Amino acid sequence: MHPFGNEKPLNAPGRPAMPSPAASQATPPFLSSGPVVGFGASGASRTTAPFSSSGALPNPGAQGAPQAMAPPLSSTPITGLETSGYTSPPQGRFNGPTRPPQPSYPVQDPNSLQQSLAPRFPPTSQSPYPLRSPPFGAPSVGPPLGPPPPAQVPVVPMGPPPQISSPSHPRVSMAPPVLDSSVPAPRPVPHLPLPGNPNASPLGNMPHQQFPAGRPVSMPAPQTFSAPNAPPYASPFNAHQGGYVPPPPPVGATLGFNARGQTQYPSTGPPLEGTLQGLIEDFQSLSVASTPGTLDHGIDPKLLPRPLDGDNEPTSILETYPLNCHPRYLRLTTHAIPSSQSLLARWHLPLGVVVHPLAEAPDGEEVPVVNFGPAGVIRCRRCRTYVNPYVTFTDAGRKWRCNLCSLLNDVPGEYFCALDATGRRCDMDQRPELCQGSVEIIAPTEYMVRPPMPPLYFFLIDVSVTAVRSGLLEVVSKTIKSCLDELPGYPRTQIGFITFDSTLHFYSLKSSSSQPQMMVVADLEDIFLPMPDDLLVNLSDSRSVVDTLLDSLPSMFQDNVNVESAFGPALKAAFMVMGKLGGKLIVFQSTLPSLGVGRLRLRGEDLRVYGTDKEHSLRTPEDPFYKQMAAEFTKCQIAMDIFTFSDKYSDIASLGTLAKYTGGQVYYYPSFHASIHEEKLKHDLARDLTRETAWEAVMRIRCGKGVRFTTYHGHFMLRSTDLLALPAVDCDKAFAMQLALEETLITTQTAYFQVALLYTSSSGERRIRVLTTAVPVVTDLGDMYRQADTGAIVSVMSRLAIENTLSTKLEDARQLLQLKIVKSLREYRNLYVVQHRVAGRLIYPESLKFLALYVLSLCKTLALRGGYADASLDERCAAGYSMMILPIGRLLRLLYPSLIRVDEILLKASHKSDEVLERLPLTTENLDSRGLYIYDNGFNFVIWFGRMLFPDIVTSILGVDFSTFPDLSRAALFERDNEISIKFTKILMKLRAEDPSSYQLCHMVRQGEQPRESSLFLSNLVEDQTASTSGYRDWILQLFRQTQQSS
Amino acid sequence: MAWELILWLFSFVVVISLVALTAYQLICLSDLEFDYINPYDTSSRINAVVIPEFVVQGTLCTIFLLTWHWFPFLMMAPVTYYHFKLFTSGRHLIDVTEVFRQLNGEKKYRMIKLGFYFCLFLIVIYRLVMTAIVVLIDEDDHPLDSGSF
Repeated sequence: MHPFGNEKPLNAPGRPAMPSPAASQATPPFLSSGPVVGFGASGASRTTAPFSSSGALPNPGAQGAPQAMAPPLSSTPITGLETSGYTSPPQGRFNGPTRPPQPSYPVQDPNSLQQSLAPRFPPTSQSPYPLRSPPFGAPSVGPPLGPPPPAQVPVVPMGPPPQISSPSHPRVSMAPPVLDSSVPAPRPVPHLPLPGNPNASPLGNMPHQQFPAGRPVSMPAPQTFSAPNAPPYASPFNAHQGGYVPPPPPVGATLGFNARGQTQYPSTGPPLEGTLQGLIEDFQSLSVASTPGTLDHGIDPKLLPRPLDGDNEPTSILETYPLNCHPRYLRLTTHAIPSSQSLLARWHLPLGVVVHPLAEAPDGEEVPVVNFGPAGVIRCRRCRTYVNPYVTFTDAGRKWRCNLCSLLNDVPGEYFCALDATGRRCDMDQRPELCQGSVEIIAPTEYMVRPPMPPLYFFLIDVSVTAVRSGLLEVVSKTIKSCLDELPGYPRTQIGFITFDSTLHFYSLKSSSSQPQMMVVADLEDIFLPMPDDLLVNLSDSRSVVDTLLDSLPSMFQDNVNVESAFGPALKAAFMVMGKLGGKLIVFQSTLPSLGVGRLRLRGEDLRVYGTDKEHSLRTPEDPFYKQMAAEFTKCQIAMDIFTFSDKYSDIASLGTLAKYTGGQVYYYPSFHASIHEEKLKHDLARDLTRETAWEAVMRIRCGKGVRFTTYHGHFMLRSTDLLALPAVDCDKAFAMQLALEETLITTQTAYFQVALLYTSSSGERRIRVLTTAVPVVTDLGDMYRQADTGAIVSVMSRLAIENTLSTKLEDARQLLQLKIVKSLREYRNLYVVQHRVAGRLIYPESLKFLALYVLSLCKTLALRGGYADASLDERCAAGYSMMILPIGRLLRLLYPSLIRVDEILLKASHKSDEVLERLPLTTENLDSRGLYIYDNGFNFVIWFGRMLFPDIVTSILGVDFSTFPDLSRAALFERDNEISIKFTKILMKLRAEDPSSYQLCHMVRQGEQPRESSLFLSNLVEDQTASTSGYRDWILQLFRQTQQSS
Repeated sequence: MAWELILWLFSFVVVISLVALTAYQLICLSDLEFDYINPYDTSSRINAVVIPEFVVQGTLCTIFLLTWHWFPFLMMAPVTYYHFKLFTSGRHLIDVTEVFRQLNGEKKYRMIKLGFYFCLFLIVIYRLVMTAIVVLIDEDDHPLDSGSF
């Protein structure tokens, strides 16, 4: 189907084709009309396209119309843009050799074709070879660049006569390539393994049916193959006779450029071996075997794939499915849903979705807001799906068919609009919900159980001695005060404070009084609220009182020597205050809760627990109180963000539970000291308070028949089997969910997913954000691999791994990760091992080239690394909690941070502000002792000063010399009055500006300054070998060996 | 002999109550699964009967031990021990936050327990009937005996 996507004029014809061979169930996926067509139209005539796309209904009649429209959009230019030029020639070339034997071919009768081919294979395969290779070489170099149509011509000579005629007609011309691709199959090599070959099986399912489908009409396919998205669909065509080994399905598909390589496939023989190396297959590979004669395996570390460009959103999907919501909101681990459970079982990676519902959109791409007015929100009667671009209107516009459950619904009178000749609504373009995958619907009162709540911020501040001494209280008060003007939802915003040490201090903020009034409650067993009505006040009414309170807070407690912390009772008190309204509870906690309910004890001191089966219990909350509180909080729409600051153990595992089930977030500042962490805390807190937040939200993801969501991962609480309760959700939180298939085969060609987030905006509006996406259903494992999305896979895998650490040992969690990747690579290898010479090579799909590295670094993250000594328990848990909510981009950045050498930039005389900062692979080999490096993982900077760094730079940046100022951990970094320092600060600012959601704290470290250097910096160079973990190169070797076993 | 009859009558009632308690928990869980009640209600309802169930089961087990009915006692002992372990490790209650993730496991656990209680129920009924017959026959016999006396 995708194929058509690229080719506007063609897809239209293609569609009709599919309905006709009703017999072919297997075919549909490839021909799937819907989205594809839409895509084609995307550029010039989007309006037209969507419609026809929805026309997925077998509607041969429609065929005429689209076709008519198509020509103007002449395919040629488009194809020209696509790399199709590359692909098609090779395909044609294939035919050359194989063709001759098939006179019957032109007949175009699928059945006859198969029959004729089958017997012929043997002879064909052998003889043509010698002849074939020479021609290949020549054309492969030249034609690939030519525009498609010409490219096809060269093909012709080799092809059978019928082909020659075909080029004349654009549509027909395409046909040959497709058929060809299936034809080459008879090649000698594949032929042998005929019956037994496992690879053949997946494709074998749908051999004949493909042919009818592949009639000239639908032929546009080949051209589109070149587009990276489209490739998958090519494969089915290859499946011929089921028995022989198909040429790698992707042939010509995945990489347009690879086309040349494909020609080589058939020739496994020695003659071509030399060239083999230089050719790119449809998969990527790493040569593992080193020079002959040495037993040692070798990999050139320079050739290892590295994600130095960061995360690439798979926006190419939008080209195929322009009506889908943008991948920044929703990404699938593979943009192809397997059609059966057996296929899914061979996909060893997680199959799921990562949803980032409130992702920040760049200016100009905001989600449009829709108000249905009196018509009410248009939803399917049965499955409650919201109207979306993929629904189809029928019956002259009076009915619409739900794309998830295919139920025919009535169109409300207010929403009625006539259909035009092509069957699309005339007002399609004016309605964002019908032409965009992401919309926000204004929800009427049926969607409210109570009036929309005001934004509410409640602060629970620890004022025990540690908090005061470290300067925490002062920073917090100042920051809150500075943010008061920017709190969302003015003038409805409500605010309140409680401070606590061994007692609870309530503050009456009545607007009529000039001074806040403090009330102390010392009875922790039976908490009551003094003056319950004045504890939570409207910010705009009581602004001056709140200001006074925040000004006086630090001084009020500056002499406090209380070391206790009645955290649990304080939580209960906050709950009593906020319970009726809900909102956000922000907790600042600097010690271990020691009094009243929920007091915690020191854990993790006993080293003997590590490495045993009880190890995981340290990472789970000890006291059920916290889980119960979290559940109660969620019930009352209270979200909790927890800021923890202790330098000693503060049981983040337990405290974090509160954030985990309320949709909150955990911030951890080990050994907080205002002089060092002030900026970071200020930024984080300000971000937390001022970012756009959705209140009292619930989220649900719907999907069509045959698919269902099984598990959800992230910070939320499940309110029913598929409803996520999110008391507050904002742009920094993403959620992952895993899919399972029902036992029945999925017979549709496209699966749809729809995320609906119902929330109250800060302005007090009830809204529904609806994100819709269409995904092709595939029957071939190769397609799944080709459409895989490393970012989403890593995101889901990291969440699974972190959840695993809560019930198993770290070691087991890491092994499970490794097992998954090995299994998937082995499966992938099995796909290709027969036709290709893959011995001594680790092969992996282009789409997953970074997966190995990401998984390796996942194993080395704070949350999963090593054992007891490698990370403190609190750090580990905090890292785990923060990784559970990270959006994909930030997660990948954390997993593979950037390493940038800056000394040269600093010294360079020319001052260009937009200097490109080149990222380096994360290994010590890249460190030059004369250099200055910045390591940036999105949360922290580590600035590494080489031992022989030009002293001027050091003095300019730090203001001191190393010889006089040896302790870098206390050095302050600020802009000084010299050019180098200014430039340096600019670079840091630029890096920080890349991601506003967190602020990187600077750690400075000198080469050779142990142990700080290794703990801060060297242990984070993920490609290096450390005591307990392997380096990148060894990791690849390890994977390679394991994929070879039992394969 | 009458004591024996009372014992089995008592166990009969107790086992029925055990079956009922377990069935009730199962119903709550499946209601949750089909979204008839929310997790908060489910867990509070189930958790309310967990301890009573443990106590009743433990009591019955003890009574069997004290009355030296070794067969039913041995049957129940492992379950009692398992309950005890659950209780001491604090895993006996439904965790409202994770209830959906544990749903299948919890259902299976309760299904098995329900099956076990049913077996127990059959045994108790059998013994009850046996005892009743014996007692009644004995009573019938005695007058005869005394009559012949």
